[in-house]
Amino acid sequence: MDAPTPESVVVIDDDRAMRLTCEKILARAGREVLCCESGALGLEAVVERKPALVLVDLKMPGHSGFDVIERIRKCDTTVVVIVITGYPTIGAAVEAVKAGAYDFLPKPFSPDELRLVAERGLQHRKLVLAARTSEIERELLRRRFVTFVSHQLKSPLVAVHQYLDVMKRLGEGPEVREKRDIWLERCLERTEELTSIVEDWLTLASLEQGALQRVREPIDVREIIDKLVAAYGELAAERSVNLSAVMPPGPCTVRGDPTCLTVLFENLIVNAIRYNRPGGSVTVEAGCVPGEVITAVADTGVGIPESCIPMLFDEFYRVGGRKSDECGTGLGLPIARRIASEHGGVIEVESVEGEGSTFTVRLPLHSSAPEGEIVPGSAAEKAILA
Amino acid sequence: MTPHPRILIVDDDDDFAESLGSFLAFRGYLVARAADSDEGIRMALARRPDLIVMDVMMRERTEGFFAIHEIRRNPQLAGVPIFAVSAIYTAAADFAVPPGSDWLAQDEFFRKPVDFDQLLERIQARVADVLSEKASRIL
Repeated sequence: MDAPTPESVVVIDDDRAMRLTCEKILARAGREVLCCESGALGLEAVVERKPALVLVDLKMPGHSGFDVIERIRKCDTTVVVIVITGYPTIGAAVEAVKAGAYDFLPKPFSPDELRLVAERGLQHRKLVLAARTSEIERELLRRRFVTFVSHQLKSPLVAVHQYLDVMKRLGEGPEVREKRDIWLERCLERTEELTSIVEDWLTLASLEQGALQRVREPIDVREIIDKLVAAYGELAAERSVNLSAVMPPGPCTVRGDPTCLTVLFENLIVNAIRYNRPGGSVTVEAGCVPGEVITAVADTGVGIPESCIPMLFDEFYRVGGRKSDECGTGLGLPIARRIASEHGGVIEVESVEGEGSTFTVRLPLHSSAPEGEIVPGSAAEKAILA
Repeated sequence: MTPHPRILIVDDDDDFAESLGSFLAFRGYLVARAADSDEGIRMALARRPDLIVMDVMMRERTEGFFAIHEIRRNPQLAGVPIFAVSAIYTAAADFAVPPGSDWLAQDEFFRKPVDFDQLLERIQARVADVLSEKASRIL
């Protein structure tokens, strides 16, 4: 919800003294207050200012308070409406609450009563907004999960099933014999694909359970990068991609789990090779700045559309428009981000569609000062819990 | 009935297209393959196949539905049966195949993995209809 003036309050009352009283009390409580003398002006203010809270008098000439509540409810369901009522009966206030007001405040009231009711209303709004956000997030994740299972997990299974089925149905004809080896080879490849997806999935699950963060030892990022560049030279060459590393002469030491950190950089390097083009390049550059080890994996590949970047590190999210043979498991980046944050670090991405992407990992520098009471992963754990 | 009815398979999964394509080829069909919906529509227009097998979820979750819609809007391809295939879990609410929607009225839906013999039976039946309709129009 974008509220240009967060937590602002609109007071709608035809009684000038009442408007001034409310404004004074609420302004003193740190709220931005706008007062309106009629329902029509009040509605305009609500549309324009998108306040968090509206205080409205029930009995006004022109638009009655009931009218105002109904109209506010129609244009914004998150704004909290509180009714001020001078009616001797509580019946009208109950009606107002039924019409969509959150609470009511009988006249006369003390400053404390007004503050209390207003704060309670604002608190209620926060809860409603938070519940909505997490509902949307859950829904998105659920959809992505269904897509993930039916596309990434089921597709290789279906492929293997159909090949085996065709071989069974077509029997032993000469044309079949000719294709059988190719088909069997494809079955094996698709099975491997499925295995790596399941493995990535399990890695992510175990990272989430905190199982892989027990090891904490000083490790030079240059060593990890050197090993990976050597290991993936062949894959890069197969795709006519030039893979190289630029390292400083001195050590770039972080404290962490070497296996996990290797997985982190492996995922970034493999992506950079996979989403590249023949003749392109992947450059891994490491370096130290005060307090941090910065490693950048830059490619000259397909790049990422700007609209996809906010979701890039989300589980089960994949950038559309890729051919199936260049697709990964869709879990590599969530894994990388998780590992970085477990180590108290972050991953950032910059990308220009059609030109390439740079993933930058920032990890806390491990000072070579005497190793004392360093609590393993404490910063990371705090970051996660926050 | 013409000896070799022509089938167009549109699927971004090469392996599904290869297995189904080979199966149909061995059963006497002429098979063409396209790897995405744009290529599929282009090939459909160029070749006017007797039947199209279309994967629903390609690069985008609903790419195939849009391609079917596009083909259905094109008078040049009127009457070409389209069989939609997909691995999507159709029991999930927002993935459900809307019953009675306009494309389903003339077309059929198969869940992957597909029983190729059953699919073949339906293809034979639909292609026979199409061809006899063509023949009666000529007469």
